[in-house]
Parts: sequence; C-alpha cells; structure tokens
Amino acid sequence: MSLLEVNGLSVVYEPRGAEPTYAVRKASFSLERGEFVGLVGESGSGKSTLGFAVTRLAKAPARISEGTILFDGRDIASMEEEELRKQRRGGFAMVLQSGMNALNPVRSIRKHFGDIFAAHGHVPKTKRLARAYDLLEKVELPRTVLDRFPGELSGGMRQRVSIALALSLEPQLMVFDEPTTALDVLVQHAVMGTIRDLQKSENFTALLISHDLGIVLESTSRVMVMSEGVIVEDGTSQQILQAPQHQYTQMLLGHYADPRAEVVQVPGLVVRGSTISTTGHSSVVAAVSPERGETATGTPSAPARRRAGRPEASAIVVDGVTKVYPRPRRGQDAVTAVDGVSFTLEQGQSMALVGASGSGKSTLAKLVTGIERPTSGTIHFGEARVDTLRRKGLRGLRREVQMVFQDPYSALNPLHTVEYALMRPVLNYTGLHGGAARTRVLELLETVGLTPVEQFAAKLPHELSGGQRQRVVIARALACDPQVIIADEPVSMLDVSLRAGVLALLDDLRVTFGVSMLYITHDLLSARLVTDQIMVLNQGRVVESGLTAQVLRFPEDPYTMELLDAIPQPHRAGARR
Amino acid sequence: MWYLLRKLGLLLLTAWAAITLNFLLPRLMPGTPADAAIAKLAQNGPVDPATRAAIEAQLGVPTGDAWSQYVQYLGNVSRLDFGVSYTFFPQSVSTLVMNALPWTLVMVGLVTIIAFVVGTLLGVLAAWKRGTWLDTLPTLGGTFTSAFPYFWTALLVVFFLGYQLKWFPTSGAYGLESTPNLSLAFISDVIGHAWLPALTILITSVGGWILGMRNNMINTLGDDYVTFAEANGLRSRTVAVKYAARNAILPNLTGFGLSLGGVVGGSLLVEQVFNYPGVGYLLYNAVTNQDFPLMQALFLMLTISMLLANFLVDLLYGLLDPRTRR
Repeated sequence: MSLLEVNGLSVVYEPRGAEPTYAVRKASFSLERGEFVGLVGESGSGKSTLGFAVTRLAKAPARISEGTILFDGRDIASMEEEELRKQRRGGFAMVLQSGMNALNPVRSIRKHFGDIFAAHGHVPKTKRLARAYDLLEKVELPRTVLDRFPGELSGGMRQRVSIALALSLEPQLMVFDEPTTALDVLVQHAVMGTIRDLQKSENFTALLISHDLGIVLESTSRVMVMSEGVIVEDGTSQQILQAPQHQYTQMLLGHYADPRAEVVQVPGLVVRGSTISTTGHSSVVAAVSPERGETATGTPSAPARRRAGRPEASAIVVDGVTKVYPRPRRGQDAVTAVDGVSFTLEQGQSMALVGASGSGKSTLAKLVTGIERPTSGTIHFGEARVDTLRRKGLRGLRREVQMVFQDPYSALNPLHTVEYALMRPVLNYTGLHGGAARTRVLELLETVGLTPVEQFAAKLPHELSGGQRQRVVIARALACDPQVIIADEPVSMLDVSLRAGVLALLDDLRVTFGVSMLYITHDLLSARLVTDQIMVLNQGRVVESGLTAQVLRFPEDPYTMELLDAIPQPHRAGARR
Repeated sequence: MWYLLRKLGLLLLTAWAAITLNFLLPRLMPGTPADAAIAKLAQNGPVDPATRAAIEAQLGVPTGDAWSQYVQYLGNVSRLDFGVSYTFFPQSVSTLVMNALPWTLVMVGLVTIIAFVVGTLLGVLAAWKRGTWLDTLPTLGGTFTSAFPYFWTALLVVFFLGYQLKWFPTSGAYGLESTPNLSLAFISDVIGHAWLPALTILITSVGGWILGMRNNMINTLGDDYVTFAEANGLRSRTVAVKYAARNAILPNLTGFGLSLGGVVGGSLLVEQVFNYPGVGYLLYNAVTNQDFPLMQALFLMLTISMLLANFLVDLLYGLLDPRTRR
C-alpha cells in the first residue's frame, strides 16, 4: 500500500463575488514509502495549492471540490478538524516557502518546540529539552538557538528551525513547498543538502515542490510536472532529464545550461561563446518578440536626434570606492558594504556584478546612481563626479543613468496605468509635451515589445503578467534615452519561461541603442548570457574580474568556484543519491 | 536595561520640555490676566489707578527677570502649587484638581480599560470565527455604536434607563443625602451613580477596539507562522491566542496608551451631561470662565499623564515584542 494515494483531486478557488477557478484539476498520483518526489511547475500552475490540499492546509476561498486523499489507507480529504490535528503527529508535515516568516516573531524557538510537544504529548516532559537539542543537531544548528527569537536568526537558520520543528512531529510524509526559494544561493545549496541527508537518514517520504527543475532533479528520484492545474508528466528523474515527453517539461529543461560550458545556449537568446558576440543581433530581435514585427531595430536615428545637445557618450569610472555604514545598533560593528572597489564601464559595454546576498552588489548600484555617497573613493561619469553631485547634477545624472528594479510587482504604482508610468519620465526629462509625449510613450512600448501598444498603454499593472510588468519597468528606464542601465536582478522574480525574453530585450537594447549595462545578479547563467565583463564580489571586495566567459569557464578564486558549484544542475540528477 | 534607561531619559526630556512650554506660552501672549480683567471693567466706564493696582495685587504681577520667574515656577510646579483659582476663589488650584481627579480616574479610567479588554476579546472572537454570527454581530454593532455621538448616547441612556425605568440616578457622583466616607452604603451609592456615564463611554468607545483588533487579527491569521502552527497540529486555541492574537494586539497597544493618557482629561461631554464632578467638568468650567491658573495646571497634567502613559506602553512593548528590545 502506498503511503499517499491521491485520486481525482480537484481544488477550486471560490472568492466572493468572482467566478470560481480550478487551481488543481483531477490530480491523481501516489507516493511510496521512503520515496523522494519532486513537483515542478511555474507560478500559477497549482503546485502549491496541491501541496496545501494534500496536507489539508487549504483555507477559504480554496476548497477541495472532489477526489480522495488516502494517507496510510485513510481518507483525509473529508476528515474532521480535531482528528486531522492529531493525525499531524506521525503523519504529514509541511515546511513552507517563506521559512523566514514561518516562525512567530514574539515566541522564542524553545517555546515553538514546547508548543508542539504540548499539543501532541508524544514526548515526556523530562525528555523534551534533550529532544529539542537532538533535532537542532539534525538540522546542523547550535543549541544556543533555542533561546533566540526568530528575528535574531538569519533566513537560512530560520528555515532550518522550521525543518527541525516539522521533524519533531516524527512525520511519515514531509512536504517542502519551495523550501529554499527565498534564500541566498550558497545558503540554498547548504539547506538542500541538509534536506537530502535528512530524508536519507530519517527515511521519511518527501514531496519537494519547486519552480526550479534543477533543484528538483538534483534531489529527487521521481518528478511530477504540473501545468495549469494538471499533472502533465510523471516519471523518474532520469526519464524526465533524458526523454521529457511533455512540451512544457522540454521547455523547462531547455532553459538550463551550464555557465561553465564553452558555448552557452538558451532558447530565445543568442549564443555567446568565448568571444564577444557581434553577429546575432537580428536573430535576437526575432527570437525575443516575433509579435513585434520589423520595428525598433532599424531606427537608431530617433534616439540620436533626441541626444542632440546632450553630453557625449561617456564611461563610468569607479575608483577605490569604499562604503561604510555606521553600526546599526549599540554593540554591533560598523558594516563595510563596499571595500576598495575600482572598475570602468565603457560606453556600450555590459558588465555583470555577481555575488551572494550581502556581497555589496546592490550598495555599489546605489553608489553609481548617486542614491548613496561613498565613504571614500571617487565615481566619475564622463566629466561629472557622481559622488559629489547635488540636486541639479543628480537630475542630469538620472537622465543618463537609469535603474531596472528586481521586483516588477512592486516597482509600478498599482493605481496608475502603464501610460501614466511611462509619461512621467518622458515629461520630466525629454521636454516633450502633449501629443509628442504620447507618441514617445507608444514608441517605448513598441521598443519593449508590448504590442498592440494602444491596448497596453491603457492597462493597469495588475492586468499584466510578471514578464510584461518587467518590460514596462524597462521601458520606463528607457524613457529618457539613458546611456547606462543598471539592472538589479531583473529576472529573478520571473518564471523561467519569461526570463529569456527579458534578458534578450536587455541585450538587444545594448546592441541597438548603445546603452551600457551594469547587470547585478546572483545567477551566473544569466550573467554569462548577457554580459561581456564580470566582477565577482565577496564581502564588498572584488575577488575576481575579467571577461565573463573566461572567468566562469576558468574560475581562479575559491568563492567563484563555490558560487558555480551552488547552481542546481539537472544533469546531476541521481548523481547525489 | 539599556532600553529602559533610554526610554526613561526620553520621558524626562519631553516632560521638561512640556513644563517649560507651559511657562513660556502665557508669557508670549500679549497682555496679562490683570489687563483682561481691567478691560472687562473698562466697558462700564473708566478704571481708576487704585482699582488697577488692587486687581494687579490680587492676581499677582510677575516680578524679577524671566530666569528668576522660571526658577520660581519650577519650584512651584515641584510642590504642585499652581496658585489660586479665579472662578472658585479662594480655593487653590491643586485642591480643586485633587478633588476632581479621583472621580475621573476611577470612572473614566476603569471604563477605558474595560472597553479595551472587552473590545479586544470580541475582536479576537470575530476574526477567529470569521463569517459567522460571532463576527457579523460585534463588527456591525461596533461600527454602529461607535458612530453615536457621546451626548446623544448619554441622552438615550438617561431617558430610558434613568428616567423611564428608573434603574439608576441620572446625575452627580453620589446622592445629595450621603456624605463621602468609606462606608459600604456610600460606595454602592457611588457605583450606582457611575453606571450611566460609564455605560455611555463604553457604548461609544468599545466599537473602535473591536474593529481594530478584528482587522489586525485577520491580517495575522494570514501570516505564515499561523499556517505553520496549524500544519504542526497545535491546538486551535493555542494558534488563536498565542500566535494570531498575541501578534495582532501589538499595534493596538499604542492606541490604548493614548486613550489611557487621555483619561486624566476626563470625558468632557459625558461629565457635563451627568453633572459628574470630574476633571472634564472642571476643565469646562475653567475654559468658560477664563480661569488661567486652573487651565494651565490642567493642561500640564494632561500632557504629563499622556507622556507617562506612553512611557508605560513603551515598557510594555519591550516586554511583549522582542524585536523592540534591542
């Protein structure tokens, strides 16, 4: 008998005053004891809803509309609350996506353990402390964590605590819902390692839900792929990797590549070998947005005309810049976010700034855009010294240096239309008014491939997908014809299938308009795809820099190697088991 | 410990600033109280210099430079000596305030605390049983009653409970025939008289706490730690109280601190309607009669008690929320 047997399960969302939508349609699958199974899909595919349904955590407006969930032979789909609650000990446990917020901020870790032991009474009072220590050791945390509050722990530590808490239930089935998504690359790598080891040593059945096929293939022996509420493929990891049947699975797999390879290729993006690509521009445009037709590329004259009377193309020169933040609280040390960094970003060049979180890459972006001032060192943009600019100078700088933000969901004001968002910089910086300004807005939408432009101009942000929103953010950055675009993790919040499109657009802009780009990321693959130069930052210092292909193919610094090793690789499927 | 010292330092600094402002403001205003009194007399005809001298002597004209006045003022404040009331001459301001304060503190203070506790509990219940009648009734009722004006509620209460049903006396703090002492009879008389004003305040203020707590709690119920606690099979009472409500109450504490600080100001309208001899009633009298010393003392007391209440809430926060303790 399988541990979990799901038959014809459907979950429907029934929000008040809106049409019901089916998030999961007639899903059927089973999990054998001791199996480690992955569940993969993009956002909105229904994978988390399914995870919440099989652990009976789905809350209104979600409702299990049909089907059975046999756990250990008993149907839990229709089980009463109190009986269900008791089932959670020695039954099924869940580790949530944002482990950062899965702990009660006003209760110490000790009390979190205490609450669970008290609720189920499965550990005698005298042995509870020893059990808690034991569990912490299993997730590789020191004992002192017990007296800490969640706010005093790092993201990775908090996620480890939630795993320990879930383990304290002695579950037969553990559901991990995107357990490492909110974590830093290196931390993610380490936590996934712990999960794999625990699954082997404790021998629970595990269901790993993730959008990242790489992570799933690395850890699991069987993978289910979900798309639009339906499980479209179910096979062993090797089958999925070598002979993916469903189109959707093939698409997901197609977007993985090893940044260390000699030639890196991803559908929709031009091939970048060891040398700087100068050939494939037209193919980029065609691949990015076939819907966009024959515009945009052939008209470099328009920006040239608007450039008249503005400073000549110039490089950004950063020289020995250090940024020290004063100690945040009494008893803590001052933070040196950026430590003696120097580089030059030539006009038309693209440079990647990579590193784990806290490596100082975002601080560096703030310094270059003049949002923050360096503690020492100088930053030149052409004639201007960015680090000493005042109001008017900063305004001039912003006309030339623009940002693309990480989170397209919060970078646009939800109350204003796309047209309004794009109109602001046009009015503020280009001197265009009325009809001319509107024409410019529509032209911008066309440049980023949002056609038909009239329709998109009238839309509100919530009516757009994540990828479309990010295109609007890019169009906004382009509104004043900047010379430099600083892109801070522009694709990290987007689904895999949308990433290539946005990256290709950024690359295309550089080629067509001669915009130089500082590309900030933790994702080495995307850095390899769209940049020529790279700088690897660790704790504010540049540990390695040079040509992107060179550095990633033949890394010299151990930190770069560590980053490269942390990238999930589908082809390692089964290798770690 | 450091947290406590820092908050205490802040309290002392703001209190000093308030006391000093209270000294400066009347001196920055044009004219003196004597001028105001003489101006009134002048409407009936010319005021001779002897009368002017008499009025100035009676009200007291400041002598010495500003600094020595300030030092003298600080000394007076520390002895709680705020001078003599104009309206209730020759009673001293401190006596008047001390007579009014207990009535307000006990009646308004207790009701404020009760309203907070009851409102919070009902709010927790409403959020936890969202969508049932336990939610609809307090939420709708709270919205409804908190929209009532004080005086209107007071009139309704007086008319139905006091006049028609004759359950409670309709005015004063105690009966005309009883004298203040600690006997059981007197205390029950006081409680009887407090019912109607207390009820009025309760009806109009409890709704805000219900709505505030319900909304906060619905937010925390959507938080991951609540879902995770449910996933771990904690008892639903534990989840509701120790996880959801415990976090939802934190933002409400600030509002509670403010209304506690405001208690000392009394409840002006309610005390007026019920002829309740509290601070609100006194303040009303002071303002209508331009009784400057009384007003000054009352405003200072209000400010200081507001500061104290906020200080206490800060300390409470430190106890309840580890994130503020650093």
